[in-house]
Amino acid sequence: MKPLSQDITEVLITEERIEKRVAEMGREVASTYQESLPLLVGVLKGCALFMADLVRRIDIPLEVDFIAIQSYGGFSQSTSGAVGITKDLDSPIEGRDVLVVEGIVDTGMTISYLLRNLEARQPHTIRLCAFLDKPARRIVRVPISFRGFEIPDRFVVGYGLDFNQHYRNLPYIGVLSNEVTGLTYGK
Amino acid sequence: MAVITISREPGVGGEEIAARLAGKLGFLLVDKTHLTRLWREINLDDVKLSAVDERIPSAEQILSDETEACARLLPDLLAQLAEEHDLVIVGRGGQALFRNRPGTLHVRIGGARDFRVRQLQDKEGLSAREARRQIRELENQRSRYVRFLYHLNWADTTLYDLILRMDRLSIEQALNLIVAAAEGMRLSAVPKWQIVESLLPEVAEQRGEGPFVNEAEREFAHFLEFYRIPYEYEPRTFILETDAEGKTAEAFTPDFYLPEQNLYIELTTMKQSLVTRKNRKVRKLRRLYPDVNIRIFYQRDFQTLLAKYGLLTNQSRQDADAPRNN
Repeated sequence: MKPLSQDITEVLITEERIEKRVAEMGREVASTYQESLPLLVGVLKGCALFMADLVRRIDIPLEVDFIAIQSYGGFSQSTSGAVGITKDLDSPIEGRDVLVVEGIVDTGMTISYLLRNLEARQPHTIRLCAFLDKPARRIVRVPISFRGFEIPDRFVVGYGLDFNQHYRNLPYIGVLSNEVTGLTYGK
Repeated sequence: MAVITISREPGVGGEEIAARLAGKLGFLLVDKTHLTRLWREINLDDVKLSAVDERIPSAEQILSDETEACARLLPDLLAQLAEEHDLVIVGRGGQALFRNRPGTLHVRIGGARDFRVRQLQDKEGLSAREARRQIRELENQRSRYVRFLYHLNWADTTLYDLILRMDRLSIEQALNLIVAAAEGMRLSAVPKWQIVESLLPEVAEQRGEGPFVNEAEREFAHFLEFYRIPYEYEPRTFILETDAEGKTAEAFTPDFYLPEQNLYIELTTMKQSLVTRKNRKVRKLRRLYPDVNIRIFYQRDFQTLLAKYGLLTNQSRQDADAPRNN
């Protein structure tokens, strides 16, 4: 098997920068939730590595839960026609201070669906923490309270983010080669 | 026949205003009581009505075929009633069902949240917290209902002809304003053929197959539907240039409109030479209509979207490269 790194054309964010920024974000989150017991809701699977690092950098009591939603399967494959939750939260969030932790926000469609769904459960507050923000591709506006990095419009993988379920285990954020993605534009 | 739809925010006493309005004008009041009676007449039980009357099971609950059929029966009932009577319709997505129907006035009755909380507290003897909770729940239910049946945003102000703030108006003043608007719009004078012609497309569902001119548009529409993002397809043509006689010389119709984002999207999967022309049109549109938000979704955006979900195949690349006629 060839190493994963051979498919990466550029390292966009190094391990060192990730570590430094996640530590800063941990402090930002901790200072916001001084007065409450926040519930961090990780959006699977892209959040996995970020969530694990982030919670270790938040030096206040907190709780953790996870949620997963169906991924778009294309016009021909998707029969039910609408997104659904494949792994729901383990407990109610009514009255809680919820922080949704997401790996990347690009079009904003997935996360806006999730936020709407969670808001309907009447938490006390709900905020969004995104490790990566790709504003160039935004269709649905979503308010991001904690942002790791703003990135340009490139196809990125690593640090939990995948392409066809692979590359999540890269320790950095890298740009995936067009030969792998099939894209025909850009580098 | 004339129709007045009353969309009411919880806590403003919209039901009472609608009832008094119907009495004042001699229109038939369509509210919960009337619908329950109708429902019984067609031998359906009340439990089924209350499951779908201004509510839809939330996203995480499974919607049974029977419930969905009941939910979709209500608009048919309303449309039928409107053929036979002058109506005042309380809620029930009337503003969406009859959105562009001639002879129809769409009224939104609202007010500041604190005002509505106090009203509900006084009326029901609730704590402020409970009143707030009930208001939020009703708002969620009603907005989900309109989104499910019509792909529209309940709070979108462009759905209404008249918006009234009850923290500033008495009920009497509100009634007078609605009656004046109804008279000013000459609701009862609209000929029946005009109404009938306009009715059918309003109830049509957007399910992907629709009117789309190419696969990319169809896929994009399906994508929006998957994430339950309300949209309209080619709802508006912007005139960019007129000739000396005032006839349209150049116009532009963006492919999609997302009402919740107030955003037009033009999907372009064309070659670069054609994209340049389209870019020019969009620049012109932005200059002439500075308040309109529009975004071009380029071929590469579309490719990335497909790639992200592992859907980028050789075929979709070829499709995307093919020139389009829009």
